[in-house]
Amino acid sequence: MSIQFKSIVELRAMLDKKSISTPELTQESLRLAKKYKELNCFVSMNEEMGPKKASAIELDKKTTSLISGVPLAQKDLFCTEGLRTTCSSKILENFIPPYTATAVKKLEDAGSITIGKTNMDEFAMGSSNETSYFGNVHNPWKKGYVPGGSSGGSAAAVAAGIVPAATGTDTGGSIRQPAAHCGITGLKPTYGRISRWGMIAFASSLDQAGPLARTAEDCAILLNEMAGHDLKDTTSLDFTVPDYLEDLDKPINQLKIGIIKEFNLNELDSEVQSRFQDSKDLYEKLGAEFVEVSLPNISASVPTYYSIAPAECSSNLSRFDGVRFGHRADNTEDLNDLYIKSRSEGFGDEVKRRILIGTYALSAGYYDAYYKKAQQVRRLIKNDFDNVFETVDLLMTPTSPNTAFAFGTKGTQNPVELYLEDLFTISSNLAGLPAISIPHGQINSLPVGLQLIGNFLREDKLLNAAHVFQENSDFHLAQPTMEDFL
Amino acid sequence: MDQETVRTICYLARLEIDQNKSQKIQKDLEIIIELIGSLQSIDTTNVEPLFSPLEMTALKHEDVEKSDNKKEKFLENAAASNEDYFLVPRVVE
Amino acid sequence: MSWETVIGLETHVQLSTKTKLFSRASTAFGESPNTNVNLIDCGLPGVLPSVNKEAFYKAIRFGMAVDAQINQTSIFDRKNYFYPDLPKGYQITQMDLPIVLGGSIEIAIDNSIKTINITRAHLEEDAGKSIHDQFDGYSAIDLNRAGTPLLEIVSEPEISNAKEAVAYMKAMHQLVTYLDVSDGNMAQGSLRCDANVSIRKKGDSELGTRTEIKNINSFKFIEKAINYEIKRQIKILENGKKVVQETRLYDSVKDETRPMRSKEFANDYRYFPEPDLLPVVISNQEMQDIKDNFPELPKDKEARYEKDFKLSSYDSKILASSKSMADFFEDAAKKTKNFSLLSNWMIGEISAFLNKEAIEINESQLIPSNIAMLINRIDDQTISGKIGKSIFEEMCSTGDSPDQIIESQGLRQLSDDGEIEKLIDAVIEDHSKQVAAYLDGKEKLFGFFVGQVMKLTEGKANPETVNKILKEKLKK
Repeated sequence: MSIQFKSIVELRAMLDKKSISTPELTQESLRLAKKYKELNCFVSMNEEMGPKKASAIELDKKTTSLISGVPLAQKDLFCTEGLRTTCSSKILENFIPPYTATAVKKLEDAGSITIGKTNMDEFAMGSSNETSYFGNVHNPWKKGYVPGGSSGGSAAAVAAGIVPAATGTDTGGSIRQPAAHCGITGLKPTYGRISRWGMIAFASSLDQAGPLARTAEDCAILLNEMAGHDLKDTTSLDFTVPDYLEDLDKPINQLKIGIIKEFNLNELDSEVQSRFQDSKDLYEKLGAEFVEVSLPNISASVPTYYSIAPAECSSNLSRFDGVRFGHRADNTEDLNDLYIKSRSEGFGDEVKRRILIGTYALSAGYYDAYYKKAQQVRRLIKNDFDNVFETVDLLMTPTSPNTAFAFGTKGTQNPVELYLEDLFTISSNLAGLPAISIPHGQINSLPVGLQLIGNFLREDKLLNAAHVFQENSDFHLAQPTMEDFL
Repeated sequence: MDQETVRTICYLARLEIDQNKSQKIQKDLEIIIELIGSLQSIDTTNVEPLFSPLEMTALKHEDVEKSDNKKEKFLENAAASNEDYFLVPRVVE
Repeated sequence: MSWETVIGLETHVQLSTKTKLFSRASTAFGESPNTNVNLIDCGLPGVLPSVNKEAFYKAIRFGMAVDAQINQTSIFDRKNYFYPDLPKGYQITQMDLPIVLGGSIEIAIDNSIKTINITRAHLEEDAGKSIHDQFDGYSAIDLNRAGTPLLEIVSEPEISNAKEAVAYMKAMHQLVTYLDVSDGNMAQGSLRCDANVSIRKKGDSELGTRTEIKNINSFKFIEKAINYEIKRQIKILENGKKVVQETRLYDSVKDETRPMRSKEFANDYRYFPEPDLLPVVISNQEMQDIKDNFPELPKDKEARYEKDFKLSSYDSKILASSKSMADFFEDAAKKTKNFSLLSNWMIGEISAFLNKEAIEINESQLIPSNIAMLINRIDDQTISGKIGKSIFEEMCSTGDSPDQIIESQGLRQLSDDGEIEKLIDAVIEDHSKQVAAYLDGKEKLFGFFVGQVMKLTEGKANPETVNKILKEKLKK
């Protein structure tokens, strides 16, 4: 009985009905990963420990969680003890962490099985997965097209039905945008909702872990396990975690949704516009009310982000110096030579670009003009959100202005061209707010994503709205044929 | 952004750019700097920077040892080490 | 042409917490390399700092002791630079908002008191250790020290010569050890300083170009390094040349300072607020608790010694001058009644011994209960003060208790009249000539007889008993 394209809820039912055993399920998932290795969505497989754990879980009747025995894939920037963790970078090509990230540990403690580590943009810097040292990931819907990024491997693995869900991280849209391009559901929770311990940092004040899955319901199941305070992360939120499944079905006839005036949606691709309009109509049919809202500073999101994120990354990536772990260049003359050669050989161009920008933005004489200025604008943007959330429950935007594009066709001449793709997703990272992307149709057989942004810690409202949408539509059920990958 | 600035930044970041790419990268940097430079047009007088989206405070822990030392594993991960130390090319102070 | 020296000191005090500033690894000194290192101290990918409250309490205690302003909200910054013993490639420190602001400390020079103002004191993490001379071609990195909490105390440039600098460091040492903020062990680097030295013409208002001498870790070296640097700079200026602003290293072997190669390149530290740490806030309740549990300072101790132990103010002052001496004295005083004799020994024999060995009392073999025992044995006449001194020497080298030594070497004092009388009779018999001379009035021979008795008893005879009986025997 095939498990491909099954959701967590469906697999759970199969396990409960004993129509499949946990070890079989794990093996099946690993088999699918091999079958579609051309997708290149995995950097490492967990063929050793995965099946071992599966047999242990099969015997252990105690773990009753909804993900017990369920195979999952982890983005390759979550440290996993004993399992290679590369951030899709040459500099960590052979790095075996001595510990496991809190988010992954919580999922594994709940009985899920990690079957592998997924490909990504190097150090999560990119939105097309083309910066990976391990090569491009294909979009399951169209060979030769990008899956989005940076969590592109996770998105592709889920869209291809290899695993029901995967972990990702989102610094400027890295969960939502690939989810949109691959036609699945991706949730970026409130900053601090999930511990960052063991998550290799890109931009500390923006990074947030979250689930990519086939449905909003599955996202809720995973968030239930992943969320919570962690003493090891002083920036993790010390608030009790609600049961995100509880209000999923609540009617949304009271829901008030804001459309952001400044995004001038009428300038977008007409197809993207009409998908958006259809979804708006559906929500209205379900009783939601729409209002136009203004966030005067939101258009500054991209420049703000591209000054803050590189600055933080330039410092976060200093520890990759070839001394205690990671790539070290051969025959170097002295210490500085070792630093320069190891880092220059180890990092790809996009990572170098961002480190250099960040170094510049923080250097004497520019700090105020770039870094501090950006953090001031960041407050203005957050204030804008605080204001509109006094009147609306959610904000609705397209996840991305475009669908997936062909390899090597964007940002090669001008990197900013690609940065602008993040326009709709970036602002919620700057403000630390939760946001979700759900599939809402296709353009030329490539998926399109719809984004909902919620107020601080209101993942419940996001998941409720997304779930009700999926209860009343079937976009999330669409499946790629995968025939080009056999 | 002139060549000299690029050289200084590269040194601070301990990075070097291959000759054939340096032109391109320098151009990229200029474009990006121009992008973030556009923020200057926004009035931020008396606006406090928002360094973290969480305007909260850190929990403190007790001064009680809780070690997860894995000396062997730590040293194993290093490109050059002996049974006790990480090793780097000799530094002259 | 007469010159004027201006010195400012940056003192690095290792706080005596059990665990590190941002991790829960031990801070114990002298463990095998890279064992007091956990994931955080190793700077592994994905790790995050968490906050040790005790380090903040100690920093605040120092601030209160120097009457500084305490910032109850601490924000940390990253100081970015590459060095192998700096695992993350940045040091977490405090730039804009130091936990301690202002304050002052009194230093004693000759018989006068001078006040040196403190600019600020901030919390930061220490780096690891680089060992450059043990493996050829390599520098070896030990991260045991990485992450140890440091309080960096910056003085105003109000110190005018090496003597004052030493006095300042001694005052610092006394204060931080008294506050139990640091063990103050300079040999282990718990207390070290960077000296900013500049020279200007007498009367000039603005400062001359300064050099920074890094990492000086003994009172002796502070004095030598600064004096060398002053001479060097004056020589440069008198030759009409300019002092170069640079970081220098003191070489105690050659007794000279030289530029630090590793600091050649001008650095740009790119400070920015540490995004992995939310602001750390100390509540008013916590501030109150720190006040309520404030340790006793030297002046209070002196007063208490005069009152409780009936010691002279001079003795009290000496005993209270060093925390380790005072602690030792108080522990010993619990086990003896004869406080004045104990105090005499502390100030006399014991101090002399420590000075000779150039060690602190807590680094020696001596333990309070043994010293108390020694005092008691002298007090109850089991041994004479003279024997006491030789027992003390034995204790210093072996660490044995006085009773062990007394028994093993049979040093118990001889006070039995009968036995002593026998000995005296013998002496009188053997020296009839001297006895005759004595009886003729050569009274100073008395000492000779005492000497003879002591000789027979290897000094163990109780002098008073000997005198008493001799006097009787030599009458008529």
